[in-house]
Amino acid sequence: MNDLDAYREKARAWLESVAPTYGKQAREGMTEDEDLAMGRAYQRAKFDAGFAGINWDPEFGGQGLTPLHKVIFEQEEMPFAMPSGYFGVSLGISVPVVMRFAQDREWAKERVLAALKGDEIWCQLFSEPSGGSDLAGIRTKAEPDGNGWKLNGQKLWTTWAQRSDYGVIIARNDPTVPKHKGLTFFWLDMHAPGVTVRPFRLAAGDSHVNEVFFDDVKLTDGQRLSPVGGGFGTAMATLMIERYSASDPAGFGPPLDLFVDLARECEVAGRPAIEDGRIRSAIARTYAMRSGLEAITTRAMRMMEAGMEPGPEGSLNKLVSVRSRQKLSELAIDLMGAIGLGWEQDAWLKDDWVASWLSAPTMRIAGGADEMLLNTIAEKILGLPQDHRPDKGIPFNQIPA
Amino acid sequence: MSILYDEAQQAIANECRRVLDARTDKARLIGLLEETGQFDEAFWKTAVEQGWTALALPEAHGGLGLGLIELGLVAQAAGVLTAGAPFLTTNYGAQQLLLASQDQAARDRWLPALSSGDAIGTVAFAEGSTILPSAPETYLADGRLSGVKHGVPAGLKADFAVVWASHAGKPALALVELAGISRQAIRSFDNGRLYADLTFMGAPATVLFEGEAARAAALQALAHMAVVTAHEQTGGAEALMFIARDYANERKAFGQPIGAFQSVKHRIAELYGLVEIARANCIHAAACAGTSEFTRAAAAARLSATEAYDTAARDTVQIHGGAGVTWESGLHLHMRRARSLAIEQGNMLFWEDLLAGELTGEPA
Repeated sequence: MNDLDAYREKARAWLESVAPTYGKQAREGMTEDEDLAMGRAYQRAKFDAGFAGINWDPEFGGQGLTPLHKVIFEQEEMPFAMPSGYFGVSLGISVPVVMRFAQDREWAKERVLAALKGDEIWCQLFSEPSGGSDLAGIRTKAEPDGNGWKLNGQKLWTTWAQRSDYGVIIARNDPTVPKHKGLTFFWLDMHAPGVTVRPFRLAAGDSHVNEVFFDDVKLTDGQRLSPVGGGFGTAMATLMIERYSASDPAGFGPPLDLFVDLARECEVAGRPAIEDGRIRSAIARTYAMRSGLEAITTRAMRMMEAGMEPGPEGSLNKLVSVRSRQKLSELAIDLMGAIGLGWEQDAWLKDDWVASWLSAPTMRIAGGADEMLLNTIAEKILGLPQDHRPDKGIPFNQIPA
Repeated sequence: MSILYDEAQQAIANECRRVLDARTDKARLIGLLEETGQFDEAFWKTAVEQGWTALALPEAHGGLGLGLIELGLVAQAAGVLTAGAPFLTTNYGAQQLLLASQDQAARDRWLPALSSGDAIGTVAFAEGSTILPSAPETYLADGRLSGVKHGVPAGLKADFAVVWASHAGKPALALVELAGISRQAIRSFDNGRLYADLTFMGAPATVLFEGEAARAAALQALAHMAVVTAHEQTGGAEALMFIARDYANERKAFGQPIGAFQSVKHRIAELYGLVEIARANCIHAAACAGTSEFTRAAAAARLSATEAYDTAARDTVQIHGGAGVTWESGLHLHMRRARSLAIEQGNMLFWEDLLAGELTGEPA
C-alpha cells in the first residue's frame, strides 16, 4: 500500500468513526441553526483530527500535505452527508485568498485558524444583479474615502452570506477605464455598519443564497487584497488557488446504482423496467459517460502523484456530470410515475431523485454556467476565438447599459 | 484502474502518427470507396514492416509481447487518418481466440503467421442483423461447417475465420480456412473494410470452443476487438474535432471567424468532451484487459467512442457547410468510417444491452 492509499484508509476509518455523530442520520429533522451548530462541531472535530486545511501551510494551522491528500479526503467524505456545506466557499475560496493576500499577516493567521476550526465563516461577494458570468461587469463601487474606501452597491447569489462573519469582495474603483482594469479586491466584516444581508429562496426551496447591500460601508486601505485596479487578476488567481477539489461523476446527485435499484422496483407496460430497452439504454449510456469521467479523475490524480499538472480534461467534470444528473433524475421521476410526485424539501441530493432534479439547474449555473464552461474549453483548450464583445476596450462608464 | 502512458507507449503513439502521416494518401483512400475488394495496402505494408502485426502477441508465439494498450495506440493513429485495413482488429480477435483455446496445432499453425503478417485472420459471428445470434443457423456436423455468415470484416482477404456456429444444439466456435470458400463481396459505403458474406457448404472445420465456453470466448473476443476499434474511433473523432477547430478559426462569415459564434464553438467544445470521455474509457479498458472489470470497461469504451465518432462526423461536416459535403473534401471518409466501425463487433444496441446486463445482472 502506498502513502496515499494508507491516507485514504485512515480518512475513511476516521469518517466512519464520526459518522454516527455528524452523518446523514444524525442530521435528520434538524433546524438549520441546529445543523449549523453540528457543522461547526464537525469542522472542529476535523481540525482536531488533522483533516482540516489538509494542503495548507502548517504555519496557518494546515497539515502541509498535497492537494491530492485533500481530494482523497473529500472523495471519502462525500458519501457520509456530513454538515460541511457551510464551509465550502469559506475554506475553498475565501480563506485561501486571505491567507495569501491579506496585508496584516498576524490578523490573517488568526482568521484562518478560526475558520479552520469552524468558529468563523467567510463568503465570497462576486456576482451581482447585473453580472455573474460577466464578472468584470460588476457595478458595486469602491470610492476613495479619507485614507480608506467607501463601498456602495449590491451583490447577489452570495452563498451563506447570512451565516458569514467576513467576506471577500470585488468592487469597481474606477469606471473611467475599461471594465477589467477598474476593479479592486477587498475583505470586509459582514457585520460592519451599512451591510444588509437578505436570504432568498431558490426553486428547490432552500435559502442558502443572499442579496447583500452596501450603503456607505467603510473599509480601511489595509483591507485591500489586490493592487488598486488589479482586482480582476487577483480574482482570477484566487480561483486557481484551490483548483483541485473532489469531483463526482454523479454530478453530486444520486449514483447510478440507485437508478438500477429503482428500475428493479418499477414496471413499464406490465414488465419490470429493468428489461425495458429505453431504461437499459439510459443505464448503459450513463455508466459509459460516468466511467469516462472517473477514469479522467483517476488519471489526473496519477499525474498529480507524479508531480505533473493534470490535463485540462478535468474541466469537463461539472459540465458533463451535472447535465447527466439532471436528465437521469427526470427519467427516474418518469419511472416512478405517480409515486414520483412526492416532494420532501430537506431530502438529500444523493439519494432523492426529486431533490436532485429540482436543484440540478442551480448546479448548472453556480460556479460557472454550462455556456461559460463551453467557452472556456473552446477558447483556452482548443484555441477558438473569443465571442464578439462590444464592450471590449471601452471605458466602463461608456458601455451601453 | 487507469494508467498514464509510459515513455515507450508514447513513443509508439508518436511513431505511428509520424509513419502514417507520411504514407497516407487521402486521394487514394477516396478512390477505394468505389472499388470492392481493394484496401489500404500501403497501410498494411506499413503495419507488417513496423511490427504492428506482432505487437500484441506473446513472445513465445513470435510476437513482441506487448498488449491492448499498445495496439490501441496504433489503432488510434490509424483512426486519425482513416488509414487502416480491417485486419488490425480482426487479426487481434483471431489471436485472442487462438490464445484462449487449447488447440496447440491451430496455435502453431496460425499465430506465427499472424505475427509476421503472412496470414490474415478474422471472426465471423454475425447472421443477419444479429452480431451474436443465440442459436446460429450456421452449423457443424462431422467436423464440417455449413451456413452463411454476413458482413464479415476482412472477409474478402482473410486466410481463416473463427466462426460462431451451432454444434449438436449448442454454440461452438470453429476455425475454418477460407481458401475455396464462396465469398460474396458487399458493395459497401466503406469498401476498404473488405466486407463479405461467407457461404460455407461442408467446409472442414476445427472446433476451438463448445457450449458456454464458446459463448464466453466469443464475448471476450468481441470485447477485445471492440477496445481496439474504440481507439480507432477515438482517433477519428479527435481528428475531426481538430479539423472542425481549424476550419472554424480560418473561415470567416459576417465579418468574423465562424468559430467566434457560440453555435459553432460550443459544438466543437462538446466534441472535446465526447473525445476525452472516449479516450479515458479506452485507456481504462485497455489497462484492465484480463481483469473481471474488462467486459464492462470495454463496453463503456465502445459506447462512448461510437458516440464521439458519430457526433464528430455529423458536426464537423455541418460546421464546414457546403464545403463539408463535397466528394473531394474527404470528410465523408470519416463519416463512412464512423458508421462502419459502429457496426463491426456489434452495434450500439448490442453493447447497451450487454453493459446493462453486466451492471444489473438482468440479461436483455
